[in-house]
Amino acid sequence: MVMEEKKFEGIDVLTLEGRFDAHTVGAVNKWLDEVTSKLPPQVMVNMEAVHFVDSAGLAALVRGMKRSRELGGNLVLYRIQQPVRIIFELTRLDKAFDIFDSEESATASFAIPYVMVN
Amino acid sequence: MKSLNRKLRIAVITTHPPSKGTLNEYGFHFVKALRQKPEVEELILLLEELPDEQSYDFDESGAPVSVRQCWRFGDMTNTLRLVKAVRETKPDVVLFNIQFASFGSGKAAAALGLTAPTLIKAAGYPTVVLLHNIMETVDLNSAGFADSRLMSTLIRVFGNIMTRLLLKADLVALTIPKYVEILEHKYKAMNVILAPHGTFETPPMPNFELQDGPSRIMTFGKFGTYKKVEGLIEATDLLRKNGHPNVELVVAGSDSPNTPGYLENAARVYKDVSGITFTGYVPEEDVPGLFQDSAVVVFPYTSTTGSSGVLHQAGSYGKAVVLPDIGDLSELIAEEGYTGEFFEPANTDSLKEAIARLLDDPELRGQMGRQNYLASCGLPIDDVVDWYLLHIEELIKEREV
Repeated sequence: MVMEEKKFEGIDVLTLEGRFDAHTVGAVNKWLDEVTSKLPPQVMVNMEAVHFVDSAGLAALVRGMKRSRELGGNLVLYRIQQPVRIIFELTRLDKAFDIFDSEESATASFAIPYVMVN
Repeated sequence: MKSLNRKLRIAVITTHPPSKGTLNEYGFHFVKALRQKPEVEELILLLEELPDEQSYDFDESGAPVSVRQCWRFGDMTNTLRLVKAVRETKPDVVLFNIQFASFGSGKAAAALGLTAPTLIKAAGYPTVVLLHNIMETVDLNSAGFADSRLMSTLIRVFGNIMTRLLLKADLVALTIPKYVEILEHKYKAMNVILAPHGTFETPPMPNFELQDGPSRIMTFGKFGTYKKVEGLIEATDLLRKNGHPNVELVVAGSDSPNTPGYLENAARVYKDVSGITFTGYVPEEDVPGLFQDSAVVVFPYTSTTGSSGVLHQAGSYGKAVVLPDIGDLSELIAEEGYTGEFFEPANTDSLKEAIARLLDDPELRGQMGRQNYLASCGLPIDDVVDWYLLHIEELIKEREV
């Protein structure tokens, strides 16, 4: 799995690519621990290039989301592709997360002006 | 999306040690994890009645616990008593940790108990059912619930009705994707979700080397219905007589509530076979040693009724396992990253060979143990409980809207 991090306007953005599973979850957990220690955590995860998520991957996202909300922030997901969306629906975690179709709408959920960042 | 701005009072209907009812281990670990969550204000445990000399004990850590002993295995009035207890305690949500035979071995008591989620929901309480098995995947004859094809068909029809009743709950959580698919397709259910079984503990990396001495084969569970020890005892005897004189077998656990006296009878029938120990009920504190001292953990099942907690335990202690090549267990192996040696159910030679392959090959055994350990680390029950809390919060928010 490939990870790419960026930050703008106080939002930490992580782009994932490939399989997000028990074997690759460690690095994401570490990143989430770091970014959710800042107040308030504002985290976006781009899932566009993720083609598989297992329970360990889902659990990492849930932990990050719970921790963010406990500290007054949020962790949102965007551009989830159909095979992965099915896993979210099967577990009904699609109801628990804020999920957006685009980076722009995900950014807007934090109520700050959207700026495209490469 | 905002979190719920208040803490929750959660009622849990489950078995819990020292009760020896099925799912008591799962109940213990689920409750333990739930108590540590900041979202929980109080846990109201609606538990099985215990004999006078026993009591439920909880330490101080975590959310406060109040216990009501308000149902009894096999009793016809369980549902009424549970509804009454819920009305009196007024929880924010009621969570069931059950399977189809949780409330009785008799068909009437079992069925009546399964009406509890429907009636509690009708009384106005959000209701979540964690259902560990579904009727569609249980081989009723092998599992000991039916002794003829006609009876099997009748129970199956009745099971469909009971499943529809259970699906009246706000949410029904299942531990295997296939179960979710079956209930969605067959019953057009919109309220079923996948919630992984989870692992009970994440112990430190186990020592995969075995101590010198006899090679211990171990089986753990509640025996008599679909968990049968006869073939395993005979396979052990064959091993001892054919090149493995130092093998010993530990049968750990007690009778299934559906088959009282089963293990006592097995011990009597096989009294002349040496190297066999029946431990009876294993207290929680003795479980780690039980697994650590074993070379191989065997699942002598003729059928399965759901995801196996014992498999997760064996994995967490880095153990090689021997499993029947049937239903859920082989699927669980594939889906959750476990591995094992397989045998043909009810074939003693096949079982003996599967055990021997592991005893004779320490490298294979170690490799399997390491893979099972990694698989068991996948998702701690602590995380699974977080998922339930998210679902519960959503349910409550929907109701409040």
